Amino acid sequence: MLQNEQEFIRIIRSRLEGTLPKDELDDIISDYAEHFSIGKANGRTDEELWRSLGSPDDIAREIKVMHLVKKAEDDQSCRNIFHAVIATLGLGLFNLVFVLVPFILLVVMLVVIFLIGVCFTIFGPIASVFSVLQILGIPASAIWFSPMAGLFFSIGMTTFGLLLIIGDYYLARFFYHVGIQYLKWNFSVITGTERSA
Amino acid sequence: MNIQFKKGVLEICVLSVLAHKDCYGYELVSEISKRIDISEGTIYPLLHRLKDDGYVTTYLQESAGGPPRKYYRLTESGRKEEHDQKDEWMRFAASVNALLEGKIDAAE
Repeated sequence: MLQNEQEFIRIIRSRLEGTLPKDELDDIISDYAEHFSIGKANGRTDEELWRSLGSPDDIAREIKVMHLVKKAEDDQSCRNIFHAVIATLGLGLFNLVFVLVPFILLVVMLVVIFLIGVCFTIFGPIASVFSVLQILGIPASAIWFSPMAGLFFSIGMTTFGLLLIIGDYYLARFFYHVGIQYLKWNFSVITGTERSA
Repeated sequence: MNIQFKKGVLEICVLSVLAHKDCYGYELVSEISKRIDISEGTIYPLLHRLKDDGYVTTYLQESAGGPPRKYYRLTESGRKEEHDQKDEWMRFAASVNALLEGKIDAAE
């Protein structure tokens, strides 16, 4: 492969097109174009400049992660955090263990808490129907030792279920925030240059 | 030197160079790679991040016999950040040095 300015810029552009807004991408490209042109004016060759800049693939990957993490921070959504995590995984094997594993565990935990909450919430009204039927004297529905206790118990269940769901929502927001900080820290300290330095 | 070390200190290096003078990208990159062996290409994404965070701004300036160059300049909050990070680094480095030297003393 020819290691010249055009190829370097072509790789950066092709890797980032569609992810970055056009003006931001043009701004980044102009930096590298300027770097090449000043370098060449100082008597350095395309190959030398390429070698000291490092792999354009790695550079594009870093820019992509930075952009997606920032996007997930500014505009909180499942989709954005998912994209940011996926892009971060591409930075190195290290992240498979230290980003992917905690991410999956967290998602599973949040989903499980939500489902338990839903079960309790639904179970409450169903159980209370049985209590009411029993109070009305329909024997087939006598699942409670004491129908009144059953009724209060059912209300308690629903309340508990709703609290779990609300708590889960705040827990998710908390982990979202912490997760973004962790991705940023991970990015600025650990990964990114491991292949290209 | 260990890559993680370099990556962690790159930001404070960039801020420090810019605290001394406004630089165009190539100049800044050369200034840093003279002393630290790092992929020069990673400095540009860092500059973009610093710009997003409001620590640096850019302006175009004519150059002698060439197209205008993009200069990077520290903002007020950039100066404050440089000052804070420098303080923090100095204290950290002093502690590490003290420990390293202490270790050598004990071994002798």
